[in-house]
Amino acid sequence: MKLPLSWLKDYVNIGDITPQELSDKLVSIGFEVEEIIMPRSDIKGVVVGHVLDIVHHDNSDKLWICQVDIGNEIVQIVTGAQNVKKGDYVPVATVGAELPDGTHIKPAKLRGVESFGMMCGGRELGVDDSIIDGASYDGILILPGDSIVGENILHTLGQDDTVLDVSITANRPDCQAIVNLAREISVLLDKPFKMPKLTYKTVDIGTGKMPTVKIAEKDLCSRYIGRMIYNIKIEKSPKWMRDRLRMCGIRPINNLVDITNYVLLEIGQPMHAFDRKYIDGGINVRKGVVGESIVALDGKKYNVGDVLLIADDKKPLAIAGIMGGEYTSIFPDTQMVFLEAARFERSNIRRTSRKIGLRSDSSARYEKGVDWHSVEIGSERALALIDELKCGTIVNARVSDGIEAPEQKIIRTTKEEICALLGIDIDKKIIVSLLKKQGIAVKSEGKTLVCTIPLVREDIDGYPDLAEDIMRFYGYDKIISTHSENTHQTRGYLSTHDENVQKVKDRLQALGADEILNYSFVSPDAADKLLLAADDEWRKVIPILNPLSRDISVMRTQLVYGMLTSIARNYARKNSAMRFYELGKVFVAEKLPLEKLPVERDVLCVGFCNDGNFFTLKNIVGEIVGMFGKVEYTPSSAPYLHPKQSLHVDACGIVGDFGKLHPLVCENYDLPECVFVAHLDITDALNAVLPTAKYVQLSKQHPIDRDLAVVVKKSVAVGDMLAAVKAVNPYISEVKLFDIYEGEQIADGYKSVAFSVRLQPTDAPFSDSQIKEIIDKIIQKVETQFEAKLR
Amino acid sequence: MNLKEIRDEALKKLESPDVKTERDLTELKTYLFGKSGVLTGLMKGLKDLPPEQKPQAGKEINDLRVELTALCEQKEKELHRLAIEQSINSQTIDLSVDRPYHAIGCAHPLNQVRRRLTDYFVGNGYIVYDSPEIETDYYNFQALNVPLDHPARDMQDTFFINDNILLRTQTSAGQVRLMEQYKPPLKMICPGRVFRNDDDSTHSPVFHQMEGLVIDKNVTLCDLKGALDGFAKFIFGEQTQIRFRPSYFPFTEPSVEVDVSCFNCGGSGCRVCKNTGWIEILGAGMVNRKVLANCGIDPDEYHGFAFGMGLDRITMILCAINDIKLMWENDVRFLHMFK
Repeated sequence: MKLPLSWLKDYVNIGDITPQELSDKLVSIGFEVEEIIMPRSDIKGVVVGHVLDIVHHDNSDKLWICQVDIGNEIVQIVTGAQNVKKGDYVPVATVGAELPDGTHIKPAKLRGVESFGMMCGGRELGVDDSIIDGASYDGILILPGDSIVGENILHTLGQDDTVLDVSITANRPDCQAIVNLAREISVLLDKPFKMPKLTYKTVDIGTGKMPTVKIAEKDLCSRYIGRMIYNIKIEKSPKWMRDRLRMCGIRPINNLVDITNYVLLEIGQPMHAFDRKYIDGGINVRKGVVGESIVALDGKKYNVGDVLLIADDKKPLAIAGIMGGEYTSIFPDTQMVFLEAARFERSNIRRTSRKIGLRSDSSARYEKGVDWHSVEIGSERALALIDELKCGTIVNARVSDGIEAPEQKIIRTTKEEICALLGIDIDKKIIVSLLKKQGIAVKSEGKTLVCTIPLVREDIDGYPDLAEDIMRFYGYDKIISTHSENTHQTRGYLSTHDENVQKVKDRLQALGADEILNYSFVSPDAADKLLLAADDEWRKVIPILNPLSRDISVMRTQLVYGMLTSIARNYARKNSAMRFYELGKVFVAEKLPLEKLPVERDVLCVGFCNDGNFFTLKNIVGEIVGMFGKVEYTPSSAPYLHPKQSLHVDACGIVGDFGKLHPLVCENYDLPECVFVAHLDITDALNAVLPTAKYVQLSKQHPIDRDLAVVVKKSVAVGDMLAAVKAVNPYISEVKLFDIYEGEQIADGYKSVAFSVRLQPTDAPFSDSQIKEIIDKIIQKVETQFEAKLR
Repeated sequence: MNLKEIRDEALKKLESPDVKTERDLTELKTYLFGKSGVLTGLMKGLKDLPPEQKPQAGKEINDLRVELTALCEQKEKELHRLAIEQSINSQTIDLSVDRPYHAIGCAHPLNQVRRRLTDYFVGNGYIVYDSPEIETDYYNFQALNVPLDHPARDMQDTFFINDNILLRTQTSAGQVRLMEQYKPPLKMICPGRVFRNDDDSTHSPVFHQMEGLVIDKNVTLCDLKGALDGFAKFIFGEQTQIRFRPSYFPFTEPSVEVDVSCFNCGGSGCRVCKNTGWIEILGAGMVNRKVLANCGIDPDEYHGFAFGMGLDRITMILCAINDIKLMWENDVRFLHMFK
């Protein structure tokens, strides 16, 4: 909300406080100042001049010699501009002046004639038609006839005010009005507050010409006041009003429209002016019926079925609180005006505005909440301004409908209750005085403070709100740091899940993987890029109703897309090798469209590029699954993985696939064919309590190592064979592969597998026959189960 | 050879350059003490001496043997040391180069900060609570005193799944679920992802918050300040001060914005704090009575305080990261800066 200091000063004398000091103080009572817009400082020494005389230069066709009154003296100025006439008011850069482009004005001689200054155009002053009419013209800026000779041009241009851009929190809609902000500042600075002028002259012509007002939906419109003005003169509003509107970001239009906007800013009450001659019969505040429509001021047609309307007996006149109709608004020929001030229920305005897709300054204000009293104050203020600006003759009668004034809230509290919430002791007298200053009536009944809350403070609901209003002015710097001396000791801990997450992450980092983060929403194209089948579960994505863009429009069901996107981004940046992991949530919908909250599952994705082979990844997966139990692999059918270099895991609460990326997926992501990815749902594992590892007695006996070499068919899975070897006897503590060989001396279609077996006796050393017995069983096992032949 | 000759010869050989390896020495020892060595020969010759000369002669031979044995041992040690030294010299390598190895990985800077903060609060008696990222309107808004069609909803641009289900806009949603599940006294933090329909140079549609909640009988606004003061000192340094500014959140009353004194300039004003001396880091307040009542906690019996901070923002401040996009690009060069 823009607060021009000149406007503020109309209602509270702020003394000589600097804008910065005022901003700091406003922050201390909860109004953050986003920006202090200072007056222009790039124009110095430019004043309003009055051209008293103008004659041709003797030695030039194009130059003119002017005698210009600049207030305290009359100076001679030579100009080359052709649009200046005797009697014009013009901006004059006097000797010594500075202009925005850095020009310094010095006395000069033009073709032998002395010149003491320069007349300026809009361009030289850095202004255009939006600031003052005529400024965009290529020539001298001709100022309005009522300009004051000698006045600083910044004042004339309305560029000499300081404006604070104040951020108003949603609980203080009342402070979306300059008067109410002024009231807060008067308490803050302890200076008296003055109400705007609300008096005006009226003429008594009875109510005969006035439309009646009837509200059909009193819960949506609790108050409506209508006034009438005739003999309307539509013209430009005075400069001071236009300047103020402009400083607050509103474009001046004409006196009447400007007054309604001025009242909106000053009092916080939206107003609407109708041309009386288009109102047929009475005013009805009612809901639109199906099929009804209106063309609003923006020229667009809106269907207003079930939308709250201001209507006359025949047609809708306005979309209540949002925008007036095109044909009933104020035109230059308007002669009689019906002026509306009303209170519309905020949530209905909010809903309607979103439904029909139309917002206005008025609807924005109503959405935040307008109080019951401001309807009347707004109406009175608008009439006072109409009178002041002599826009027309005000009829003294008024038409209205609505509910009785709502009752003021009463809050009963005690000093003790307030201080117990804050934790500091504040004197009761101070509490009472701080509340009273803010317009809250306080009566003491024994220990109880009975507080009557003015309607304008709808936000105050209970004693904590009062505590806040006390602290705003008492000062939050008086809140000290204490350490919950009077509260319970509690036990802090990580859940099993969180502790396991940490362990998994620590292990991955030890395995050389860097943690990455990707958005929780992805592109709907992810499924195709990963070659997913039409019925793949990962295709059951939850779409976002209002995504920022298509790229991030569905909730992720997998982390592979993000992983590959991150690797590809790095690869494109010539970061050629990387090893990443992401541990994040995916969203699994039981049914689409979503009826209840989806299941959120924890997924670990590991990916690397140019940083290892299939077995690197198998080791990493093994280390992670190994934290939770024994690893088991089966063939994988994950469509995004290489069919010959991928495995599936389903063990210890971990389910997923890993392997080399499918060459077609590599192409889809512009990746080289050396990317490996693991995607593991580890939700169940994370929720399992990991037992503390227990010591097993180390044997004092020396282990016995035996090497074996067998020849098997090429198709034999050596891993399976070695696992079978290990299972032969509990004394076999280790089976280690040390060579797989194909080629010379080995028949085609066969391979030689060499491995060592470590036997670990427990109590007593093994005898040679015991050793032989175990080794024989091993040989027997591989011969029968794997058709192996001892080499 | 007599004893003297043997001794002279042995001493000469030990000094001579002929014996320069342990192997040379072994040969010498064999020559002296071996089965057919000279000293052994003399010993064998004893039996031919008259008995009265035997003890004297035997003693002399033995003395020489002891002397030479000691000299040989000394020489042996010396030669062994020389041999090792030679071997060491042959093992010279170029220490200036690095050979490839696999470096350890590192956590994302955001999660490094998140872990530090989590550890701090756990150490101070808080539990860590996880709450859904896809939420109902009730938990994200209504239970937190933001009714339907309330202007406070404009404070947060929300991603919707449907009329009732949305992406949570604040970790405060976790407050309500926690209070429904546990009875006071309560102390919890709820770190996690949140989502807003907002994307510019300072906002990301996904970011992280950490909510804090304390509910007990005598909790005060001063206790909130104490809790946040401790946290600020832990994360930004012992000299850090905090200040409260009044603000508004629907779920707290009174509500405050919390600033910390700038850790970079100490409050005198710099680029980090935009010359204000203060950095805004979180919002907080006393839990609104309506929120307590919504969660089945008697607001006349219990007070509570809550705070919520942006983890991304704190990480960016601490690590001097000037563009939020860097947090999501996963550029390996960026990640490795935080090892």
